[in-house]
Amino acid sequence: MLTSLHIEGNSWLHRLPVRAKLFALVALSILLFLSGSLLIQLTAFVISGGLYLSVGLTFREALKRVGFVFFTIFFLAAVNLFLLPLNEVAVLTLRLMALVLFAAAVTATTTIGAFMDEITVLLTPFERLGWVRAADVSLALGLVLRFVPDIFARYQAIQEAHRARGLPVRPLTIIGPLIILTLKDADTIAAAIDARGFRRQ
Amino acid sequence: MNTRDLVLISLFAAIVVVLGLIPPITLGFIPVPITAQSMGVMLAGCILGAKRGALALLLFLLLVAIGLPVLSGGRGGLAVFAGPSGGFILGWVVATFVTGLIAQRFVREGQAELGQFVGFFLASVVGGIVVLYAIGMPWVSAVTGTPFLTVATGSLAFLPGDLLKAAIATLAARAVFAGYPLLPVRA
Repeated sequence: MLTSLHIEGNSWLHRLPVRAKLFALVALSILLFLSGSLLIQLTAFVISGGLYLSVGLTFREALKRVGFVFFTIFFLAAVNLFLLPLNEVAVLTLRLMALVLFAAAVTATTTIGAFMDEITVLLTPFERLGWVRAADVSLALGLVLRFVPDIFARYQAIQEAHRARGLPVRPLTIIGPLIILTLKDADTIAAAIDARGFRRQ
Repeated sequence: MNTRDLVLISLFAAIVVVLGLIPPITLGFIPVPITAQSMGVMLAGCILGAKRGALALLLFLLLVAIGLPVLSGGRGGLAVFAGPSGGFILGWVVATFVTGLIAQRFVREGQAELGQFVGFFLASVVGGIVVLYAIGMPWVSAVTGTPFLTVATGSLAFLPGDLLKAAIATLAARAVFAGYPLLPVRA
């Protein structure tokens, strides 16, 4: 249910540290938004597309991952064709596609662990200020991954209960019980965490 | 932050993930399908309040950013932030915060039921629709170059669905408030 979008591999992009990849993504977006040149956007699009296709995804899977975002981009490009000069539409569309492809390439080549390590580093200044604890963020992420299957099972149980009583399955009558049942566990889970001293309090 | 708040935030982020697994509903009179996940903003604000609600959605966005396909339809990764609707997704955190602020301001225990409904609906509409659109629409316009007015007109297609979501979120939030109140009390 919760499989990461990371793809095993040993491409050039896989070996690059995550910080460099994120920095490159930010730098690329700034560069492409400052430049209005069709040639630069086209080059970026070709390079990003090449990188994305070289990370080890099958073409079908690669297309599926960016398909929804591309649909929005094409839809807005089609609207733009009626309102803006052709050259400008091409620049805007290529720019967005280049950025989406590059971002998808970063996601596909970075493990969740690597992202978490980077987040811990990025949180250090806030930790010094006493705003947040990096360990809490990791704990929270772990809790989400732990409880999604439970909550989904609960959702299915409520759905079954609806069917058993011959009621139509509607979000309205499912969401309330689902939230109450889930959040009622909070005290027990919190007590379990504190009893084990995970947060050293 | 105490451990209970941390757990509540995590559990709510997990609920938003599960809402993304519920198949979207299509209604004849509304042009776009309604995804239960986008109700997460209104629900988190109305149920957990401003601070915890916003943190729950922030945690959810963190899951998206580190490459888990938790957005409805199995989408995820950094690409969704780079796309045209990135503003609508990033805007969830601010929208939840505003929803929570309004809910905390207007809804109290022991208040007449109608007052609670009105408070939650107002919070859902202002936070989950007005604030969210105010962030998302200029973003689309800035990123795609489509004139703002065109984007705003196009966004009207989503309005009936969002109003319906606000109504559902209101009823659900009020049910949770009656059954297991968590909304911080106004000082």
